[in-house]
Parts: sequence; C-alpha cells; structure tokens
Amino acid sequence: MRLTDILLWLFTAAFFVFMLLPILVVVVISFTSAGYAAFPIPGWSMKWFARIFEYQPFIDSLIVSLELAVVATVASCLLGIPAALYLARSRSGWATAITTFLLSPLSMPMIVIGFASLFFLSALGFGVSFLALCIVHTVICLPYVIRTVTAVYRGISPAYEEAAMILGASRFTTFREVTLPLIRPGIAAGCLFSFLTSFDNLPVSYFFGSAQTNTLPVVMLAYMEHQFDPSIAALSTLQLLLAVVALIVADRLYGIEKMTVAT
Amino acid sequence: MKLNRRHFLGASAATGLAGLSGLPLRAQENVLNVTAYGGVWEQAIRDCFVAPFEAKTGATGTVSLGGPAQWLAQVEANPENPPLDVLIMTPDLAVIAAEGDLMDDFTVEKLPNLADIPQEFTDACLGKGTYFDYGVGGITYNKQYVSEPPKSFAAFVEGVAAGDFIASVPSISYGPTPVFFLWALNNALGGTVDNVDPFFEAMAKMKDNLVFWAGPNDFFNHLASGEADLGIYFDGRTWNHVDEGVDWIDFINPEEGGAMTTVAVQKPKHASPLAWDYINEMLDPVNQSKFADILNYGVTNKKVQYSEKLAARVPSMSDAILPPYAEIARVRNEWVDRWNREIGM
Repeated sequence: MRLTDILLWLFTAAFFVFMLLPILVVVVISFTSAGYAAFPIPGWSMKWFARIFEYQPFIDSLIVSLELAVVATVASCLLGIPAALYLARSRSGWATAITTFLLSPLSMPMIVIGFASLFFLSALGFGVSFLALCIVHTVICLPYVIRTVTAVYRGISPAYEEAAMILGASRFTTFREVTLPLIRPGIAAGCLFSFLTSFDNLPVSYFFGSAQTNTLPVVMLAYMEHQFDPSIAALSTLQLLLAVVALIVADRLYGIEKMTVAT
Repeated sequence: MKLNRRHFLGASAATGLAGLSGLPLRAQENVLNVTAYGGVWEQAIRDCFVAPFEAKTGATGTVSLGGPAQWLAQVEANPENPPLDVLIMTPDLAVIAAEGDLMDDFTVEKLPNLADIPQEFTDACLGKGTYFDYGVGGITYNKQYVSEPPKSFAAFVEGVAAGDFIASVPSISYGPTPVFFLWALNNALGGTVDNVDPFFEAMAKMKDNLVFWAGPNDFFNHLASGEADLGIYFDGRTWNHVDEGVDWIDFINPEEGGAMTTVAVQKPKHASPLAWDYINEMLDPVNQSKFADILNYGVTNKKVQYSEKLAARVPSMSDAILPPYAEIARVRNEWVDRWNREIGM
C-alpha cells in the first residue's frame, strides 16, 4: 500500500469519526440512568424513552409533524412535478427566471420566510393555523422536488416520449407509461428531501406554533430551554432511527445510487 | 353527471382542503388559549393555574408551548383577533408590547389579586402587565473544585482575573445576557446604564480565564466536564439540578444583589375576557406558592408562604435588584455592538 493511500485511508477514517462520534454520544446519553445529560453515563436505563411517551406534547406534536410533512410533500409533488417537466424542456428565457424564483426559498434565511409568511398569511385571513403551516411548508419543500425532478428529466432523451407519441400514445399515456417511470428516482429523492425538510423544520414552524399546531422541533426547543433531562437525547435517537429506516426503505424501493444521481 | 379527470382532481383537492383541520385559530367562547414554556413549566402552568381556572369558570384552557418572541409576533400579525389570550413574556418584550399598544391595562378592578403584587412590577410593564415569577442571576459553582466561592461580583472578578477560577459566563447570543450579566455586573462594579465601562474593563481583565455558554445546558456541561469551576447562572436552574440528583453544585446570590430576571404576564387587546379570570389565578398566593415549589423560582404575591425547602433557597425580593428594563432597552443595541467589537462571543 502506498503512503498516499494510507494517508487517504486515515483521513477518511478520521472524517467518519469526527462526523459520527457526536451522534454516538447523543445515542449513548439517551440510555443514561442519570437525571441529567452528561458523558460518560453512570448507568444504563430506558426511562428517557418511556418519558417521551409520558409527555403528551411530544406525542401530539409528533403527529402534527408527520401530518404536516406528508401534506407538504404531496402538495410539493402536485405543484412541483408539472412545473419541473415544463421548465426542464422549455427554451424560453422566462423558464430560467421562473426556475430561479421557484428555487429561491433555498437561498433565503428560513427565519425570514417564517416571519414574513406569518404576517402575509395573517393578512390573508389564514392566521395561525395548520392550513397556513401547510402552505409555508409547501413553499420550502417545493424547491427540492423541482430540483431533483428537473435534474433527472434533463438527463432523459426526448426520443423516448417522441417514440411513444409516434406510436399513437396520447400525452397523458406517454406521461403515465414513459415519463413517470423514468423520473421516478427524481420524485423519490424529492419526496425524501421534502419530508425530512418539513419534519425537521424549526424556524418556519416556530412562528405558526399554537396548542393545535406545534410541531415536534418547536416542542423540543421549548422543552430543552427549561428542562435538563436526557429525554431530548432519547427523542433524537428515535428520530435518527426513523431517518435510517426511511433511507433503507428508499434504497430497497428505488436505490440510493439512482436517487443521489438525481440530486 | 359524467365524472371526468378535471372533476375528479377538483373534488379531490376540495376534499383534501376540507379535511385539513386547519382553520385559523379564533377566539372561541369558553376556550382560553394560554402560553407556557416547555417541560416542567408547562406541567406547572396546567396544575397551578389552568386547573383552578377551569374549576372556577367551567371554561377550557389550551396551552401553547413556545417562547415570547413567537407569541408576540403572532399577536402583532393578528392584533384584531389575537390567536392567544394570555402571554408569558420576558421583561424587555413586555415593555415593547406595552409601548406598541398591543396589550390591555391591568387594574385591581379586573384583577383583585393584583393588589398584593408590588406596584413596581406593574409599573415596569407600563401598567399593561405585571411580573408573576422571578429568578436571580448569581454565582453557581462546582463544590468539588471550589472550596471558597466568591461571595460578591467584585470577588468573582478578582478571582477569575487572578486565575483562581475558570468561569463560564453567558455569551451575547443568549437573550437575557445584557440584563442579568452585563447590567448586573456593571451595576455591582459602580457603573450605570449610560456608563458600562466597568463591565468591559472587568471582562478584559478576566478574558484569559473565561469560557462562554450559549444556552443554559452549555453552562451545566461546562461545570460537569470540569471545563469551568463556576459561573454566572440562575438560582432556580441550579436548584433544579440539585433536585435531579446533582450533589456537587451550589448557588450564591452575590452580596451586591443579583439581577432579578422576571417573567411577565400580559393580555392582548381583543383577547377573551376570560383571560382576566385566568390571570387572577396566576396572581393568587396559593397557586403561586404551588408554582414556586415545582419550579424552584420566587413568585411575586406578597402573601405567598414558601415551603421550608424553598424559603431557604429563594432570595427575597429585597435581596435582589430589579433591573431598569425600559432604560436598558434604550441602550441595549449599543451594548451588544460594543460586546461584539470588544469580546466577540
């Protein structure tokens, strides 16, 4: 083995240790028997996982977060996929401008979007509501669907769709039988990013929080500011597990490699 | 009628929208939307204030978790139909909300228990709110490493500057820092709101032996890991750690008097009139003493009887100093700017 290979191997190992060690510490702390977060832990216990289910706001906000992430992801797909298909093949100068506009939430501070949306949607009569949350989360999730579907669609030759239509398929049949199967990895990647972006979002959800609409990150922040026990570490471990399961399912269904090509 | 694709999509969308339980929050008769911080705070609010309110009025209280900046923004965005009926506020935001004419006046006619709250607490909210709970910022230390803790802010500065202790102090990114640390230390060292040189000179002397915390949990980690020996922290949070089994931590209210860090209660204009009944429960001496017992913080009703354990812990109102929040709000940005230039953390 050459020296450069050894150095590269060491660098890679150090990189993974640097990235994974803090996560590992959080996972270990979630199993502590102590009433406070400290490392190393004095003993092992599952009580902080039980605490998650005892504290009703965690459960209520988890349900709100899951509902919100699903609605925002579906709405992003319904709006984003047609837009991406049109914009990816358009030769108009406007297409670039519209694409940039639709992707603009990625480059804006989330807290600005949240604050501005609160006042804008309140002026429109939506106020602090689940519907308002759905609208704003769709705005911030939309760029992920557009970005991934556009990237995949641009890599597909128009000849497939042209061949289908020459052979007599209608536009809708061509979309359903040819285009949709080909862009599926892009849609899957967009859905995954949308779901996780919505589920983890704090700065936007923060401004729309109420007894009925608080999301899990908002409740976790409120809890952490005034409680010192390791139940947040336990909740983080469960979230980590959920993300890993989602990635494994996505890999089995579509293949992570195809999805990463889409991004 | 023939069902085509357009009809189907339209009907699906309408069904989906109708299914979202997402109509804006509106003031509902017999439902009161109140606010609370998370965790033990929320439980204390429910047990000590919401439960007696519900028992007396037959109304229902819903509790929104979050923070004052979030709640104030929601009220500012919906001033004619506020989504919240009772706000828990930091003292500086309480002044901003009062100056913005977003809150109702507090009077003894509306709130009989207000008569037993020191008038200065209502005055500090410009008459549009009052304080119901307070903590004190002082010196928390690790008993394993500090056998003779400083008893005053001045001794704290001397000890840290001399390298006797490594101190963990709040960074400027933590909201209450300008008041409970900057103003308190400056005041103890002879400064005024318009002259904060004593504070910055002290920080310059201590700089080699300081670490900064961005949030209260960081402070505890600094002490637990040995990164710091002592620091500036709150009494109630320290006692909460003690009650959770941390036996190596202790708190001192400095001789000059620590800064009183208060929590205000306010009622937005156009909020439900039931809010007065609820706020009156928040100011009730029996409810407040229950609340204090759970949170380890002082409360403001003069008739409150603390439990024996708490009486030994809570500094009396005369042993702490009420910062001039309205004056501080005037110069706060200058202080933050100077901090960023001279300290940077």
